[in-house]
Amino acid sequence: ESHIQYERVGADVTMKCGSMDWDAAVTWTANGTDIDESHLNGSYLILKNVDLSHSGQYSCYEGSSWHLKYLTYLRVGTPPKEPVLMCRSNNYPKGFYCSWHLPTPTYIPNSFNISVIHGTKDMVCEKDAVPKNRCHIRYLQLFSTVKYKVTLTVTNALGKNFTTLTFDEFAIVKPDPPESVVAKPVPNNPRRLEVSWQNPSSWPDPESFPLKFFLRYRPLILDQWQHVELSDGTSHTITDAYAGKEYIIQVAAKDNDIGTWSDWSVAVHATPWTEEPKHLTTEAQITETTSASTSSFMAPPTTKICDKGAVVGSGAMAVCWTAGLVVAAYSVLFI
Amino acid sequence: SPTGDSWGIFTFLCAALCNLPALPALNCSEELGAGQSIQQTYDLTRYLEHQLRTLAGTYLNYLGPPFNEPDFNPPRLARAERVPSATVDLDLWRGLTDNARLAANYRAYSRLLCYLRVLDSQVGTAELRHRLAHFCASLQGLVLSIGGVMSSLGYPLPAGPAGSPVPPGAPAAPNDFLKKMDDFWLLKELQTWLWRSAKDFNRLKKKVPPAMVTLRLEAREF
Repeated sequence: ESHIQYERVGADVTMKCGSMDWDAAVTWTANGTDIDESHLNGSYLILKNVDLSHSGQYSCYEGSSWHLKYLTYLRVGTPPKEPVLMCRSNNYPKGFYCSWHLPTPTYIPNSFNISVIHGTKDMVCEKDAVPKNRCHIRYLQLFSTVKYKVTLTVTNALGKNFTTLTFDEFAIVKPDPPESVVAKPVPNNPRRLEVSWQNPSSWPDPESFPLKFFLRYRPLILDQWQHVELSDGTSHTITDAYAGKEYIIQVAAKDNDIGTWSDWSVAVHATPWTEEPKHLTTEAQITETTSASTSSFMAPPTTKICDKGAVVGSGAMAVCWTAGLVVAAYSVLFI
Repeated sequence: SPTGDSWGIFTFLCAALCNLPALPALNCSEELGAGQSIQQTYDLTRYLEHQLRTLAGTYLNYLGPPFNEPDFNPPRLARAERVPSATVDLDLWRGLTDNARLAANYRAYSRLLCYLRVLDSQVGTAELRHRLAHFCASLQGLVLSIGGVMSSLGYPLPAGPAGSPVPPGAPAAPNDFLKKMDDFWLLKELQTWLWRSAKDFNRLKKKVPPAMVTLRLEAREF
Protein backbone atom coordinates (compact mmCIF):
# COMPACT_ATOMS: atom_id res chain seq x y z
CA GLU A 1 0.00 0.00 0.00
CA SER A 2 1.25 3.44 -0.76
CA HIS A 3 0.23 6.99 -1.48
CA ILE A 4 1.71 10.34 -2.46
CA GLN A 5 1.62 12.99 0.20
CA TYR A 6 1.97 16.62 -0.81
CA GLU A 7 3.06 19.13 1.78
CA ARG A 8 3.97 22.81 1.79
CA VAL A 9 7.48 24.08 2.30
CA GLY A 10 7.84 25.07 5.95
CA ALA A 11 5.01 22.87 7.16
CA ASP A 12 5.16 20.30 9.96
CA VAL A 13 4.43 16.90 8.44
CA THR A 14 2.95 13.86 10.13
CA MET A 15 3.22 10.55 8.30
CA LYS A 16 1.20 7.61 9.46
CA CYS A 17 2.11 4.00 8.92
CA GLY A 18 -1.00 3.14 6.97
CA SER A 19 -3.72 1.92 9.24
CA MET A 20 -1.43 0.98 12.12
CA ASP A 21 -2.39 2.26 15.57
CA TRP A 22 -0.49 5.05 17.19
CA ASP A 23 1.07 2.76 19.75
CA ALA A 24 2.23 0.10 17.27
CA ALA A 25 5.91 -0.69 17.07
CA VAL A 26 7.30 0.36 13.70
CA THR A 27 10.53 1.41 12.12
CA TRP A 28 10.86 4.05 9.42
CA THR A 29 13.32 4.53 6.63
CA ALA A 30 13.79 7.52 4.35
CA ASN A 31 15.00 6.49 0.88
CA GLY A 32 16.39 3.35 2.44
CA THR A 33 18.20 5.05 5.34
CA ASP A 34 17.04 4.35 8.88
CA ILE A 35 15.37 7.16 10.76
CA ASP A 36 16.04 7.34 14.48
CA GLU A 37 13.32 7.36 17.10
CA SER A 38 13.63 11.04 17.98
CA HIS A 39 11.51 11.80 14.94
CA LEU A 40 8.76 9.46 16.02
CA ASN A 41 5.62 10.17 17.94
CA GLY A 42 4.43 6.68 18.64
CA SER A 43 4.18 5.08 15.20
CA TYR A 44 3.86 8.43 13.45
CA LEU A 45 6.82 10.04 11.77
CA ILE A 46 7.07 13.78 12.45
CA LEU A 47 9.08 16.09 10.22
CA LYS A 48 9.19 19.73 11.26
CA ASN A 49 9.56 22.71 8.94
CA VAL A 50 10.10 20.62 5.82
CA ASP A 51 12.03 21.81 2.82
CA LEU A 52 12.55 20.42 -0.66
CA SER A 53 15.27 18.06 0.49
CA HIS A 54 12.71 16.15 2.53
CA SER A 55 10.98 14.92 -0.61
CA GLY A 56 11.43 11.20 -1.09
CA GLN A 57 10.26 7.74 -0.31
CA TYR A 58 9.38 6.95 3.31
CA SER A 59 8.78 3.32 4.25
CA CYS A 60 7.51 1.98 7.53
CA TYR A 61 8.09 -1.59 8.68
CA GLU A 62 6.35 -3.65 11.33
CA GLY A 63 8.65 -3.69 14.36
CA SER A 64 9.86 -7.24 14.73
CA SER A 65 9.08 -8.82 11.39
CA TRP A 66 10.53 -6.13 9.12
CA HIS A 67 7.44 -6.50 7.04
CA LEU A 68 6.85 -3.46 4.81
CA LYS A 69 3.56 -2.01 5.97
CA TYR A 70 3.28 1.23 4.06
CA LEU A 71 5.05 3.43 1.52
CA THR A 72 4.64 7.20 1.49
CA TYR A 73 6.01 9.33 -1.29
CA LEU A 74 6.50 12.76 0.21
CA ARG A 75 6.53 15.68 -2.20
CA VAL A 76 7.31 19.04 -0.71
CA GLY A 77 6.22 22.02 -2.77
CA THR A 78 4.25 25.26 -2.83
CA PRO A 79 0.78 26.28 -3.95
CA PRO A 80 0.85 28.05 -7.32
CA LYS A 81 1.52 31.77 -7.55
CA GLU A 82 -0.49 33.83 -10.04
CA PRO A 83 0.41 32.44 -13.48
CA VAL A 84 1.77 34.59 -16.30
CA LEU A 85 -0.47 34.53 -19.37
CA MET A 86 0.19 35.92 -22.81
CA CYS A 87 -2.03 35.87 -25.90
CA ARG A 88 -0.92 36.84 -29.34
CA SER A 89 -2.02 36.65 -32.93
CA ASN A 90 1.00 35.96 -35.16
CA ASN A 91 -1.18 34.45 -37.87
CA TYR A 92 -3.90 37.07 -38.33
CA PRO A 93 -6.64 36.61 -39.48
CA LYS A 94 -6.56 32.88 -38.76
CA GLY A 95 -6.68 33.13 -34.98
CA PHE A 96 -4.48 33.53 -31.95
CA TYR A 97 -2.60 31.52 -29.36
CA CYS A 98 -2.12 31.86 -25.64
CA SER A 99 0.85 30.64 -23.70
CA TRP A 100 1.51 30.63 -19.99
CA HIS A 101 3.96 29.72 -17.29
CA LEU A 102 4.38 29.98 -13.55
CA PRO A 103 6.63 32.73 -12.27
CA THR A 104 8.18 30.39 -9.70
CA PRO A 105 8.27 26.59 -9.68
CA THR A 106 5.98 24.67 -7.31
CA TYR A 107 8.09 21.48 -7.41
CA ILE A 108 4.93 19.39 -7.60
CA PRO A 109 2.69 18.58 -10.58
CA ASN A 110 0.32 21.36 -11.74
CA SER A 111 -2.67 21.21 -14.01
CA PHE A 112 -3.82 24.14 -16.18
CA ASN A 113 -7.29 24.96 -17.35
CA ILE A 114 -7.91 27.70 -19.88
CA SER A 115 -11.27 29.21 -20.78
CA VAL A 116 -12.01 31.71 -23.56
CA ILE A 117 -15.19 33.73 -23.62
CA HIS A 118 -16.18 35.92 -26.55
CA GLY A 119 -19.20 37.97 -25.58
CA THR A 120 -21.63 35.30 -24.49
CA LYS A 121 -19.96 32.46 -26.36
CA ASP A 122 -17.58 29.94 -24.87
CA MET A 123 -14.75 29.07 -27.21
CA VAL A 124 -12.44 26.08 -27.09
CA CYS A 125 -8.71 26.76 -27.01
CA GLU A 126 -7.05 23.65 -28.43
CA LYS A 127 -3.99 22.63 -26.50
CA ASP A 128 -0.78 22.28 -28.47
CA ALA A 129 1.29 19.14 -28.07
CA VAL A 130 4.45 21.17 -28.47
CA PRO A 131 5.25 23.42 -26.87
CA LYS A 132 3.37 22.56 -23.73
CA ASN A 133 1.48 25.30 -21.91
CA ARG A 134 0.13 26.68 -25.12
CA CYS A 135 -3.21 26.53 -26.89
CA HIS A 136 -4.64 28.06 -30.05
CA ILE A 137 -8.01 29.34 -31.23
CA ARG A 138 -9.41 29.87 -34.68
CA TYR A 139 -11.34 33.05 -35.34
CA LEU A 140 -14.86 32.34 -36.51
CA GLN A 141 -15.60 35.99 -37.09
CA LEU A 142 -13.42 38.88 -38.07
CA PHE A 143 -13.59 42.55 -37.09
CA SER A 144 -15.35 41.87 -33.82
CA THR A 145 -16.31 44.72 -31.49
CA VAL A 146 -16.68 42.37 -28.56
CA LYS A 147 -13.62 41.62 -26.46
CA TYR A 148 -12.14 38.20 -25.76
CA LYS A 149 -11.75 37.17 -22.14
CA VAL A 150 -9.20 34.47 -21.39
CA THR A 151 -8.97 32.94 -17.92
CA LEU A 152 -6.17 30.60 -16.94
CA THR A 153 -6.52 28.56 -13.74
CA VAL A 154 -3.63 26.59 -12.34
CA THR A 155 -4.26 23.93 -9.71
CA ASN A 156 -2.08 21.60 -7.69
CA ALA A 157 -2.49 19.53 -4.55
CA LEU A 158 -1.67 22.50 -2.33
CA GLY A 159 -3.86 25.22 -3.85
CA LYS A 160 -4.95 27.10 -6.93
CA ASN A 161 -4.59 30.47 -8.59
CA PHE A 162 -5.72 32.20 -11.75
CA THR A 163 -5.28 35.19 -14.02
CA THR A 164 -7.45 36.84 -16.68
CA LEU A 165 -6.71 38.70 -19.88
CA THR A 166 -9.28 40.81 -21.74
CA PHE A 167 -8.48 42.16 -25.18
CA ASP A 168 -9.79 43.29 -28.55
CA GLU A 169 -9.11 41.23 -31.65
CA PHE A 170 -6.85 43.94 -33.02
CA ALA A 171 -4.80 44.58 -29.93
CA ILE A 172 -2.95 41.26 -29.87
CA VAL A 173 -1.78 41.17 -33.48
CA LYS A 174 2.01 40.79 -33.50
CA PRO A 175 3.71 38.96 -36.37
CA ASP A 176 6.79 36.78 -36.03
CA PRO A 177 10.05 38.44 -37.12
CA PRO A 178 10.97 38.43 -40.83
CA GLU A 179 12.86 35.36 -42.02
CA SER A 180 15.88 34.67 -44.16
CA VAL A 181 17.43 38.11 -43.71
CA VAL A 182 20.38 38.43 -46.08
CA ALA A 183 22.77 41.36 -46.42
CA LYS A 184 25.26 41.56 -49.25
CA PRO A 185 27.80 44.11 -50.40
CA VAL A 186 27.18 45.76 -53.77
CA PRO A 187 30.11 45.38 -56.19
CA ASN A 188 31.91 48.64 -56.96
CA ASN A 189 29.88 50.50 -54.34
CA PRO A 190 31.87 51.02 -51.15
CA ARG A 191 28.96 52.64 -49.26
CA ARG A 192 26.13 50.28 -50.12
CA LEU A 193 24.66 47.17 -48.64
CA GLU A 194 21.78 45.27 -50.16
CA VAL A 195 19.39 43.79 -47.61
CA SER A 196 16.58 41.36 -48.40
CA TRP A 197 14.23 39.25 -46.29
CA GLN A 198 11.03 37.26 -46.39
CA ASN A 199 7.64 37.54 -44.74
CA PRO A 200 7.42 35.34 -41.64
CA SER A 201 6.09 31.95 -42.71
CA SER A 202 3.47 32.02 -39.95
CA TRP A 203 1.71 35.02 -41.55
CA PRO A 204 -0.93 33.31 -43.69
CA ASP A 205 -2.16 36.00 -46.07
CA PRO A 206 0.30 38.80 -46.85
CA GLU A 207 -1.72 39.69 -49.96
CA SER A 208 -4.80 40.84 -48.09
CA PHE A 209 -3.00 41.64 -44.85
CA PRO A 210 0.25 43.20 -45.99
CA LEU A 211 3.12 43.74 -43.62
CA LYS A 212 5.30 46.78 -43.29
CA PHE A 213 8.90 46.60 -42.12
CA PHE A 214 11.41 48.40 -39.96
CA LEU A 215 15.09 48.03 -40.70
CA ARG A 216 17.85 48.98 -38.30
CA TYR A 217 21.58 48.96 -38.94
CA ARG A 218 24.81 50.19 -37.42
CA PRO A 219 28.52 49.55 -37.80
CA LEU A 220 29.77 47.19 -35.09
CA ILE A 221 32.01 49.88 -33.69
CA LEU A 222 29.16 52.32 -33.00
CA ASP A 223 26.26 52.05 -30.54
CA GLN A 224 23.68 54.14 -32.34
CA TRP A 225 21.28 52.49 -34.77
CA GLN A 226 19.96 54.00 -37.95
CA HIS A 227 16.36 53.23 -38.82
CA VAL A 228 14.34 52.93 -42.00
CA GLU A 229 10.62 52.22 -42.18
CA LEU A 230 9.44 50.50 -45.35
CA SER A 231 5.79 50.31 -46.26
CA ASP A 232 6.18 47.61 -48.87
CA GLY A 233 8.70 45.37 -50.52
CA THR A 234 11.04 42.92 -48.86
CA SER A 235 14.35 44.49 -49.76
CA HIS A 236 16.22 47.71 -49.23
CA THR A 237 19.58 49.14 -50.21
CA ILE A 238 21.53 50.99 -47.55
CA THR A 239 23.40 53.81 -49.28
CA ASP A 240 25.17 55.53 -46.40
CA ALA A 241 27.32 52.79 -44.96
CA TYR A 242 30.78 53.71 -43.77
CA ALA A 243 33.33 52.27 -46.15
CA GLY A 244 35.06 49.14 -45.01
CA LYS A 245 33.16 48.81 -41.73
CA GLU A 246 31.34 45.67 -40.68
CA TYR A 247 27.64 46.25 -40.14
CA ILE A 248 24.99 44.54 -38.05
CA ILE A 249 21.49 44.60 -39.54
CA GLN A 250 18.04 43.57 -38.26
CA VAL A 251 14.48 43.75 -39.56
CA ALA A 252 11.08 43.78 -37.81
CA ALA A 253 7.56 43.42 -39.22
CA LYS A 254 4.11 44.77 -38.40
CA ASP A 255 0.68 44.50 -39.93
CA ASN A 256 0.19 47.60 -42.05
CA ASP A 257 -2.71 48.88 -39.98
CA ILE A 258 -3.15 47.11 -36.65
CA GLY A 259 -1.27 45.56 -33.76
CA THR A 260 2.36 45.89 -32.70
CA TRP A 261 5.84 45.37 -34.13
CA SER A 262 7.39 41.93 -34.15
CA ASP A 263 10.60 41.17 -32.28
CA TRP A 264 13.79 41.91 -34.21
CA SER A 265 14.94 39.30 -36.66
CA VAL A 266 18.15 37.35 -36.27
CA ALA A 267 21.02 39.80 -36.83
CA VAL A 268 23.09 39.56 -40.00
CA HIS A 269 26.54 40.95 -40.55
CA ALA A 270 27.93 42.42 -43.73
CA THR A 271 30.74 44.67 -44.86
CA PRO A 272 30.42 46.94 -47.88
CA TRP A 273 32.53 46.18 -50.95
CA THR A 274 36.08 47.50 -50.76
CA GLU A 275 38.56 47.82 -53.57
CA GLU A 276 41.40 45.26 -53.62
CA PRO A 277 44.72 47.10 -53.00
CA LYS A 278 46.21 45.65 -56.24
CA HIS A 279 47.91 48.89 -57.35
CA LEU A 280 49.83 49.15 -54.07
CA THR A 281 51.38 45.73 -54.70
CA THR A 282 52.69 46.76 -58.13
CA GLU A 283 54.09 50.01 -56.68
CA ALA A 284 55.94 48.07 -54.00
CA GLN A 285 57.50 45.84 -56.64
CA ILE A 286 58.75 48.87 -58.58
CA THR A 287 60.20 50.55 -55.44
CA GLU A 288 61.91 47.29 -54.49
CA THR A 289 63.81 47.07 -57.72
CA THR A 290 65.10 50.63 -57.21
CA SER A 291 65.95 50.30 -53.51
CA ALA A 292 68.17 47.66 -52.08
CA SER A 293 65.59 46.39 -49.56
CA THR A 294 64.50 42.79 -49.55
CA SER A 295 61.16 43.23 -47.81
CA SER A 296 58.24 41.19 -49.21
CA PHE A 297 56.24 42.97 -51.87
CA MET A 298 53.03 42.67 -49.81
CA ALA A 299 54.51 45.08 -47.25
CA PRO A 300 52.21 47.94 -46.23
CA PRO A 301 53.50 51.54 -46.58
CA THR A 302 54.63 51.77 -42.93
CA THR A 303 57.29 49.13 -43.38
CA LYS A 304 58.35 50.74 -46.61
CA ILE A 305 58.91 54.09 -44.89
CA CYS A 306 60.92 52.40 -42.21
CA ASP A 307 62.95 50.42 -44.75
CA LYS A 308 63.51 53.36 -47.02
CA GLY A 309 64.59 55.59 -44.20
CA ALA A 310 66.55 52.84 -42.49
CA VAL A 311 69.32 54.23 -40.34
CA VAL A 312 71.50 51.98 -38.31
CA GLY A 313 70.99 52.31 -34.54
CA SER A 314 68.19 53.29 -32.15
CA GLY A 315 67.35 56.27 -34.32
CA ALA A 316 65.84 53.87 -36.87
CA MET A 317 63.31 52.51 -34.35
CA ALA A 318 62.24 56.06 -33.49
CA VAL A 319 61.60 56.79 -37.16
CA CYS A 320 59.56 53.58 -37.56
CA TRP A 321 57.43 54.31 -34.50
CA THR A 322 56.74 57.91 -35.50
CA ALA A 323 55.79 56.85 -39.01
CA GLY A 324 53.46 54.22 -37.60
CA LEU A 325 51.82 56.72 -35.26
CA VAL A 326 51.29 59.23 -38.05
CA VAL A 327 49.62 56.62 -40.25
CA ALA A 328 47.50 55.41 -37.32
CA ALA A 329 46.37 58.95 -36.51
CA TYR A 330 45.51 59.54 -40.15
CA SER A 331 43.39 56.38 -40.45
CA VAL A 332 41.42 57.22 -37.26
CA LEU A 333 40.17 60.31 -39.11
CA PHE A 334 38.36 57.99 -41.51
CA ILE A 335 36.33 56.21 -38.78
CA SER B 1 0.19 66.33 -35.93
CA PRO B 2 0.08 69.36 -38.19
CA THR B 3 1.61 67.54 -41.14
CA GLY B 4 -0.89 64.72 -40.70
CA ASP B 5 -3.78 67.16 -40.70
CA SER B 6 -2.74 68.96 -43.87
CA TRP B 7 -2.09 65.66 -45.62
CA GLY B 8 -5.48 64.47 -44.51
CA ILE B 9 -7.23 67.63 -45.61
CA PHE B 10 -5.52 67.38 -48.97
CA THR B 11 -6.61 63.79 -49.42
CA PHE B 12 -10.14 64.67 -48.37
CA LEU B 13 -10.34 67.61 -50.73
CA CYS B 14 -8.98 65.51 -53.54
CA ALA B 15 -11.48 62.78 -52.87
CA ALA B 16 -14.34 65.26 -52.60
CA LEU B 17 -13.44 67.20 -55.72
CA CYS B 18 -12.58 64.32 -57.95
CA ASN B 19 -15.47 62.14 -56.98
CA LEU B 20 -18.31 64.57 -56.35
CA PRO B 21 -21.14 63.50 -58.64
CA ALA B 22 -23.15 66.03 -60.64
CA LEU B 23 -20.02 68.18 -61.09
CA PRO B 24 -19.35 68.84 -64.74
CA ALA B 25 -15.90 67.99 -66.03
CA LEU B 26 -13.60 70.49 -64.36
CA ASN B 27 -10.31 71.79 -65.66
CA CYS B 28 -9.02 68.38 -64.62
CA SER B 29 -10.19 66.43 -67.62
CA GLU B 30 -7.98 63.62 -66.45
CA GLU B 31 -9.65 61.11 -64.22
CA LEU B 32 -7.62 59.12 -61.78
CA GLY B 33 -7.80 55.41 -62.41
CA ALA B 34 -9.81 53.26 -60.02
CA GLY B 35 -6.55 52.01 -58.51
CA GLN B 36 -5.53 55.44 -57.29
CA SER B 37 -9.05 56.19 -55.97
CA ILE B 38 -8.83 53.04 -53.91
CA GLN B 39 -5.49 54.21 -52.54
CA GLN B 40 -7.03 57.58 -51.64
CA THR B 41 -9.98 55.90 -49.94
CA TYR B 42 -7.58 53.70 -48.02
CA ASP B 43 -5.61 56.75 -46.92
CA LEU B 44 -8.86 58.44 -45.84
CA THR B 45 -9.81 55.51 -43.63
CA ARG B 46 -6.43 55.67 -41.93
CA TYR B 47 -6.80 59.42 -41.42
CA LEU B 48 -10.29 58.98 -39.99
CA GLU B 49 -9.11 56.21 -37.70
CA HIS B 50 -6.48 58.55 -36.34
CA GLN B 51 -9.05 61.34 -35.88
CA LEU B 52 -11.50 59.00 -34.21
CA ARG B 53 -9.01 58.05 -31.53
CA THR B 54 -8.92 61.64 -30.26
CA LEU B 55 -12.65 62.16 -30.77
CA ALA B 56 -13.62 58.94 -28.97
CA GLY B 57 -11.32 59.74 -26.05
CA THR B 58 -12.91 63.16 -25.60
CA TYR B 59 -16.44 61.87 -26.07
CA LEU B 60 -16.12 58.94 -23.67
CA ASN B 61 -14.70 61.27 -21.03
CA TYR B 62 -17.72 63.47 -21.59
CA LEU B 63 -19.99 60.44 -21.03
CA GLY B 64 -18.05 59.71 -17.87
CA PRO B 65 -17.49 56.40 -16.08
CA PRO B 66 -17.85 53.52 -16.77
CA PHE B 67 -17.78 54.42 -20.48
CA ASN B 68 -14.33 55.94 -20.35
CA GLU B 69 -12.76 53.02 -18.51
CA PRO B 70 -10.41 50.95 -20.70
CA ASP B 71 -11.73 47.64 -19.33
CA PHE B 72 -15.35 48.51 -19.97
CA ASN B 73 -16.72 45.49 -21.77
CA PRO B 74 -20.52 45.55 -21.69
CA PRO B 75 -22.71 42.90 -23.27
CA ARG B 76 -24.21 43.93 -26.56
CA LEU B 77 -27.85 44.87 -26.12
CA ALA B 78 -30.41 44.08 -28.78
CA ARG B 79 -30.99 47.77 -29.44
CA ALA B 80 -27.32 48.09 -30.43
CA GLU B 81 -28.05 45.94 -33.47
CA ARG B 82 -29.33 49.02 -35.32
CA VAL B 83 -25.77 50.22 -35.83
CA PRO B 84 -24.26 48.37 -38.80
CA SER B 85 -21.67 45.89 -37.57
CA ALA B 86 -18.33 45.30 -39.25
CA THR B 87 -18.18 41.80 -37.78
CA VAL B 88 -18.33 39.18 -40.48
CA ASP B 89 -17.65 35.49 -40.94
CA LEU B 90 -14.04 35.02 -42.11
CA ASP B 91 -14.77 32.92 -45.21
CA LEU B 92 -17.69 35.12 -46.14
CA TRP B 93 -15.49 38.22 -45.92
CA ARG B 94 -12.84 36.60 -48.08
CA GLY B 95 -15.41 35.60 -50.70
CA LEU B 96 -17.06 39.01 -51.06
CA THR B 97 -17.14 40.34 -54.61
CA ASP B 98 -15.60 43.77 -55.15
CA ASN B 99 -19.10 45.20 -55.58
CA ALA B 100 -20.39 43.64 -52.37
CA ARG B 101 -17.30 44.72 -50.48
CA LEU B 102 -17.58 48.32 -51.58
CA ALA B 103 -21.36 48.38 -51.08
CA ALA B 104 -21.03 47.11 -47.50
CA ASN B 105 -18.60 49.92 -46.73
CA TYR B 106 -20.76 52.52 -48.47
CA ARG B 107 -23.93 51.50 -46.63
CA ALA B 108 -22.20 51.26 -43.27
CA TYR B 109 -20.58 54.69 -43.38
CA SER B 110 -23.74 56.33 -44.75
CA ARG B 111 -25.70 55.08 -41.77
CA LEU B 112 -22.93 55.75 -39.27
CA LEU B 113 -22.78 59.30 -40.61
CA CYS B 114 -26.52 59.72 -39.96
CA TYR B 115 -26.18 58.55 -36.39
CA LEU B 116 -23.17 60.74 -35.82
CA ARG B 117 -25.06 63.78 -37.07
CA VAL B 118 -27.84 63.06 -34.57
CA LEU B 119 -25.19 62.84 -31.88
CA ASP B 120 -23.75 66.13 -33.02
CA SER B 121 -27.08 67.90 -32.62
CA GLN B 122 -27.50 66.73 -29.03
CA VAL B 123 -24.03 67.05 -27.61
CA GLY B 124 -23.19 69.53 -24.84
CA THR B 125 -19.77 71.12 -25.04
CA ALA B 126 -18.49 73.43 -27.78
CA GLU B 127 -15.25 71.50 -28.11
CA LEU B 128 -17.13 68.26 -28.74
CA ARG B 129 -19.43 69.92 -31.27
CA HIS B 130 -16.41 71.27 -33.12
CA ARG B 131 -14.66 67.89 -33.18
CA LEU B 132 -17.79 66.04 -34.21
CA ALA B 133 -18.47 68.52 -37.02
CA HIS B 134 -14.92 68.08 -38.32
CA PHE B 135 -15.22 64.32 -38.12
CA CYS B 136 -18.59 64.26 -39.88
CA ALA B 137 -17.14 66.33 -42.71
CA SER B 138 -14.27 63.88 -43.14
CA LEU B 139 -16.65 60.93 -42.91
CA GLN B 140 -18.82 62.50 -45.59
CA GLY B 141 -15.68 62.69 -47.73
CA LEU B 142 -15.10 58.99 -47.17
CA VAL B 143 -18.64 58.10 -48.28
CA LEU B 144 -18.17 60.20 -51.41
CA SER B 145 -14.80 58.61 -52.05
CA ILE B 146 -16.23 55.10 -51.82
CA GLY B 147 -19.07 56.17 -54.10
CA GLY B 148 -16.48 57.45 -56.54
CA VAL B 149 -14.62 54.16 -56.59
CA MET B 150 -17.86 52.28 -57.19
CA SER B 151 -18.81 54.57 -60.06
CA SER B 152 -15.41 54.32 -61.69
CA LEU B 153 -15.67 50.54 -61.54
CA GLY B 154 -19.17 50.67 -63.02
CA TYR B 155 -21.06 49.53 -59.92
CA PRO B 156 -24.39 51.11 -58.97
CA LEU B 157 -24.50 53.01 -55.71
CA PRO B 158 -26.56 51.25 -53.01
CA ALA B 159 -30.10 52.58 -52.67
CA GLY B 160 -30.97 55.16 -50.02
CA PRO B 161 -29.40 58.60 -50.13
CA ALA B 162 -26.52 59.34 -47.79
CA GLY B 163 -27.24 62.03 -45.26
CA SER B 164 -30.88 61.16 -44.74
CA PRO B 165 -32.27 61.51 -41.24
CA VAL B 166 -32.16 58.64 -38.75
CA PRO B 167 -33.94 55.61 -40.22
CA PRO B 168 -37.59 55.44 -39.16
CA GLY B 169 -38.54 52.98 -36.48
CA ALA B 170 -35.41 53.60 -34.43
CA PRO B 171 -36.69 54.00 -30.88
CA ALA B 172 -35.22 56.81 -28.80
CA ALA B 173 -33.37 55.67 -25.70
CA PRO B 174 -35.79 55.44 -22.75
CA ASN B 175 -33.24 56.69 -20.24
CA ASP B 176 -29.98 58.55 -19.99
CA PHE B 177 -27.82 55.47 -19.33
CA LEU B 178 -29.14 53.59 -22.36
CA LYS B 179 -28.61 56.68 -24.48
CA LYS B 180 -24.98 56.69 -23.40
CA MET B 181 -24.70 52.98 -24.19
CA ASP B 182 -25.98 53.73 -27.72
CA ASP B 183 -23.26 56.37 -28.10
CA PHE B 184 -20.62 53.96 -26.78
CA TRP B 185 -21.54 51.25 -29.30
CA LEU B 186 -21.74 53.76 -32.12
CA LEU B 187 -18.16 54.84 -31.53
CA LYS B 188 -17.00 51.26 -31.12
CA GLU B 189 -18.60 50.14 -34.39
CA LEU B 190 -17.17 53.15 -36.17
CA GLN B 191 -13.71 52.27 -34.92
CA THR B 192 -14.07 48.65 -35.98
CA TRP B 193 -15.39 49.65 -39.39
CA LEU B 194 -12.37 51.87 -39.99
CA TRP B 195 -10.06 48.96 -39.10
CA ARG B 196 -12.03 46.69 -41.38
CA SER B 197 -12.06 49.17 -44.26
CA ALA B 198 -8.27 49.34 -44.21
CA LYS B 199 -8.30 45.58 -44.85
CA ASP B 200 -11.15 45.81 -47.38
CA PHE B 201 -9.29 48.41 -49.39
CA ASN B 202 -6.02 46.51 -49.16
CA ARG B 203 -7.78 43.60 -50.80
CA LEU B 204 -9.32 45.83 -53.44
CA LYS B 205 -5.93 47.43 -54.14
CA LYS B 206 -4.50 44.04 -55.06
CA LYS B 207 -7.40 43.05 -57.26
CA VAL B 208 -7.69 46.35 -59.12
CA PRO B 209 -4.21 47.13 -60.43
CA PRO B 210 -3.13 50.76 -59.96
CA ALA B 211 -4.03 52.18 -63.35
CA MET B 212 -2.01 54.88 -65.01
CA VAL B 213 -3.68 58.29 -65.14
CA THR B 214 -6.25 57.96 -67.90
CA LEU B 215 -7.66 60.73 -69.99
CA ARG B 216 -11.42 60.75 -69.98
CA LEU B 217 -12.66 62.94 -72.75
CA GLU B 218 -16.25 61.71 -72.90
CA ALA B 219 -18.84 63.16 -70.52
CA ARG B 220 -19.32 61.33 -67.25
CA GLU B 221 -22.61 59.51 -66.85
CA PHE B 222 -24.52 60.13 -63.60
